[in-house]
Amino acid sequence: MHRIATGAGGRFEFPDDAPALFALYRDLYDCTAGAVSPLVGRALEQWGYDSAYSLRAASVIDPVPRWDDAIAWDGSALETVGPVVVDVGAAGKGYLVDLVGGVLADAGIHSFTIDASGDIVHRGGRALRVALEDPRDARKAIGVATLGDGALCASATTRRAWPGAHHMIDAITGLPTDAVIATWAAAPTGLVADGLATALFFADPAGLADRFDFEWVRMLRSGEVQSSAGFDGEVFA
Amino acid sequence: MTHRRTAAIALGGLSLAATLAGCAPTPAESAGGSTGADAATGGSTASEPYADGDYTATGEYQTPGGTESIEVEVTLAGDAIDTVTVTGNATDSTAQRYQGEFIDGIAAEVEGVDIDELAVDKVAGSSLTSDGFNAAIEQIKADALA
Repeated sequence: MHRIATGAGGRFEFPDDAPALFALYRDLYDCTAGAVSPLVGRALEQWGYDSAYSLRAASVIDPVPRWDDAIAWDGSALETVGPVVVDVGAAGKGYLVDLVGGVLADAGIHSFTIDASGDIVHRGGRALRVALEDPRDARKAIGVATLGDGALCASATTRRAWPGAHHMIDAITGLPTDAVIATWAAAPTGLVADGLATALFFADPAGLADRFDFEWVRMLRSGEVQSSAGFDGEVFA
Repeated sequence: MTHRRTAAIALGGLSLAATLAGCAPTPAESAGGSTGADAATGGSTASEPYADGDYTATGEYQTPGGTESIEVEVTLAGDAIDTVTVTGNATDSTAQRYQGEFIDGIAAEVEGVDIDELAVDKVAGSSLTSDGFNAAIEQIKADALA
């Protein structure tokens, strides 16, 4: 990743676990008209979310390059035309939870819950009741989801925030997004649920539902909460 | 495929209105959207009572998939709306979804409930921040006070 970000363009081979992640990213990119992109990395750094957590915005924030202008993913390698900061934060942790679940399954463990703070994968056993944390007050919940076999991923702009910015950057505008303040997505895998939790900040849920089989809840800046018809749980009205 | 909803209450119409605002590419166009056959409003003034009867209007709007329309039937009785029927005529599958099954639950300004009072197994919120992030935030606060 460091070489991709600092060196000249080129062709970079990725390990076997990368294709699923890049494929999902391309889907999300297409579904959100480019708002969800792995290419927000540079802008995110410039807003202050860098490896040193400077948390101070640079005077100039570069526009986020368009996917087809900057990179090409051929299924196993990333080709770049120049230095780009690839950020897989939108779905990477959910995917990691899937990989950990795979290790457990390989070891013959088929009933487990992995809670990676924001990303939960639950297999086997009875369904869990999961509180949907109020993004405005972590002591409170705005609803409760029932999680059977699958993943529930949450995201909010209120916690990973610093003066003037937060970590949810719209790749089209290059700005921190502000219409939606919290999202929850339930899907078969952590990869997809995590990615969709990010996409729900930027896209109409109905458009995402054309591509993905998932249920969702999200809270707007106004405090209004929206949810899908099939959401398994309740929202406190 | 046609979605037909007979709304006995005003809410059905409201949620559909929200649907259209949500999927129209430019809200300004949709707000000015008197593009359809406007049967019901011709020539009436505010003081004039509306004649009882059935009124039908079709509203059209532009989507990336082409022009879509909805049909609204209103029955007026005694100067009040008696029934409203909204029929989505979407031809494009995306528009069908928007018209038929967009946001199915909307709760205005939800008030949080104390998690301590709920019987739950887990809490789903945004990722906790790392120590490095927290330390950086504390530094910024300190700088701001200095």
